[in-house]
Amino acid sequence: MKTQRTADIVVGCGVALFGILIIYASTLITSGTPHKLPPQTFPMVVGILLLICGSALALKSWSIREADLAIKWPDREGVRTILVVIASVACYIILLNMIGLPIASFLYIAFSIWYLKRSKWLLAIVISVITAAISYFLFIRLLALSFPAGPFLE
Amino acid sequence: MGFSFDYLFQGFSIALTWQNLFWAAVGCFIGTLVGVLPGIGPVSGIAILLPLTAVLPATSAIIMMASIYYGAMYGGSTTAIVVNIPGEASSVPTAIEGYELAKQGRAGPALAIAAIASFVAGTLSVIALTFFAPTLAKFAVVFGPPEYFALMFMGLSLVISLSGRALLKGIISMALGLTAGLIGQDPLTGAERLTFGSVTLTVGVDFIAIIVGLFAISEVMINVEQRLTSISKMEVKSWMPTWTDIKQCTGAMLRSSTVGFLLGLLPGCAPSVTSFVAYDVEKRFSKHPERFSHGAMDGLAATEASNNATSTAGFVPLFSFGLPTAPSMAVLLGGLMMYGLQPGPMLFVQSPDFVWAVIASMYIGNVMLLVLNLPLIGLWVRIVRIPFYILGPLIVFCALVGTYSVRFQTFDIWIMLLFGVIGYFMRKLGFPIAPMVLASVLAQMLETSLGQSLLISWGSPWIFFTRPISAVFMALAFLSIGRGVWAQIKAKAPEVVTDDAEY
Repeated sequence: MKTQRTADIVVGCGVALFGILIIYASTLITSGTPHKLPPQTFPMVVGILLLICGSALALKSWSIREADLAIKWPDREGVRTILVVIASVACYIILLNMIGLPIASFLYIAFSIWYLKRSKWLLAIVISVITAAISYFLFIRLLALSFPAGPFLE
Repeated sequence: MGFSFDYLFQGFSIALTWQNLFWAAVGCFIGTLVGVLPGIGPVSGIAILLPLTAVLPATSAIIMMASIYYGAMYGGSTTAIVVNIPGEASSVPTAIEGYELAKQGRAGPALAIAAIASFVAGTLSVIALTFFAPTLAKFAVVFGPPEYFALMFMGLSLVISLSGRALLKGIISMALGLTAGLIGQDPLTGAERLTFGSVTLTVGVDFIAIIVGLFAISEVMINVEQRLTSISKMEVKSWMPTWTDIKQCTGAMLRSSTVGFLLGLLPGCAPSVTSFVAYDVEKRFSKHPERFSHGAMDGLAATEASNNATSTAGFVPLFSFGLPTAPSMAVLLGGLMMYGLQPGPMLFVQSPDFVWAVIASMYIGNVMLLVLNLPLIGLWVRIVRIPFYILGPLIVFCALVGTYSVRFQTFDIWIMLLFGVIGYFMRKLGFPIAPMVLASVLAQMLETSLGQSLLISWGSPWIFFTRPISAVFMALAFLSIGRGVWAQIKAKAPEVVTDDAEY
């Protein structure tokens, strides 16, 4: 998917397939109460729209060959950084319910700042401690929001 | 219910309580702070902060949100002028002129003119809003489900048509947003849809999670990829503009306020469109058009004024019809709905205290922003220098806390992350984000009004074409779709849409 044309063909096909999935899923919906607008209708229309527009995008891009544009994908280092960012957010979400918001936030912020700027580890610790303290005292204690506090701070 | 000074004074009496003044000031400060931070556009900023206002009473929360919105719109101009990073498309002309002025050592006066232009346009537009919104709402009381459906349909088609030659991508984006909005229970019959047997999906996908993911998380990913670390070393010594600057900009501010407000009333006409129109109009009016792109103070004033006027004008269709005209308004609509308020004509009848207090707070918010921002210009310029390796993780923290605090479900933050990844690819592949956001917010309302209309007409879709108001909206919708299709047919190459924060 280095060029816009290839990307549009691939994405168009993907959207069309997703449209088929939505059309199929809408046939599985059970009606229940009779209504002038049965619950299947809207998802079915949206599925058909996705199928038509996805196919049209793929076909149109396939038929046009000139003036192709290159997509600015990140280099290998950029891809790795983005994957680490996504993985660290995923770990943050998993840890949230296991060890609570303050400690999960401390670990996430400390790791992220350290990962993005290795030389600033002390700054990473200071900011993550402040964030953890804010998340505990402001959100959990003062505002009494239902965030998991974790086993140590319950 | 039309305009009445009694209601406005009543609104001021609520907005001027110490509690509401405090939250308005906090909103202005936080909004400007968020707008100033490079890498967060106003829409992302509001999306992140919106759920955090949930701890306040509804009126205070909406006052704070409106102030955040104003502040963020103003704050965006600081990054545009000082570091040449327009946080959103509407700030592009600001960056063009402002950064040139900054290079000439006039960053301070440029920031001051931006603040003054925002204040003038904001105040004039709130005056217009005060009279327009209730009058339109009075007219909108006669709206039934067919009119609402046609209006929302028109709003969506206008936003899609803004995708220009990438119309197909705009429609796909909208359809994906609708799909997300349809997951869960059918609003009319209660039947489960698109849940694939998952109990978690039965409650539906929260649109706040979608919005925060699409804007905030994807923005972090884009910035991390670009390794945005550097920031300005520019010093601002004096912010006082000269009399010549003010004289030069007065006409531009007034003209652009009018242009921005009137265009801002139209659904789909976001600040990103009107600021370019106003900039162009000013260039035509200017006695020295050759100065444009080389540091024209009037060009900067025009952009900022129209930007703010459009932002305020967006409240007119939002309050009168419940119709968001831009992504930022869709986020604010989400905020209103979060508090159980249904924007639309009945809002003026059912919650006059609330709506007039919010309008009154806008007058106060504009003054606060000016008073706050002129002396704090130096501080904002220093904040612009916060590097992204600190900012990025903090944005994720705010986004996670904000999204989780809406329903306190871990599932919502997974959705936020998923839509962050989707948003990243949409930006890379040239898919506009606005249609997806609007569609996910409007999906249930659109379907409900369609269902109710079909009930009235015994299943006949002609109801949308036989009632005059809905027929006009439908005609306008089809016209804008037709225009988009025509542009699509004429296009020779697949077009990449702007990869900015708003679209």
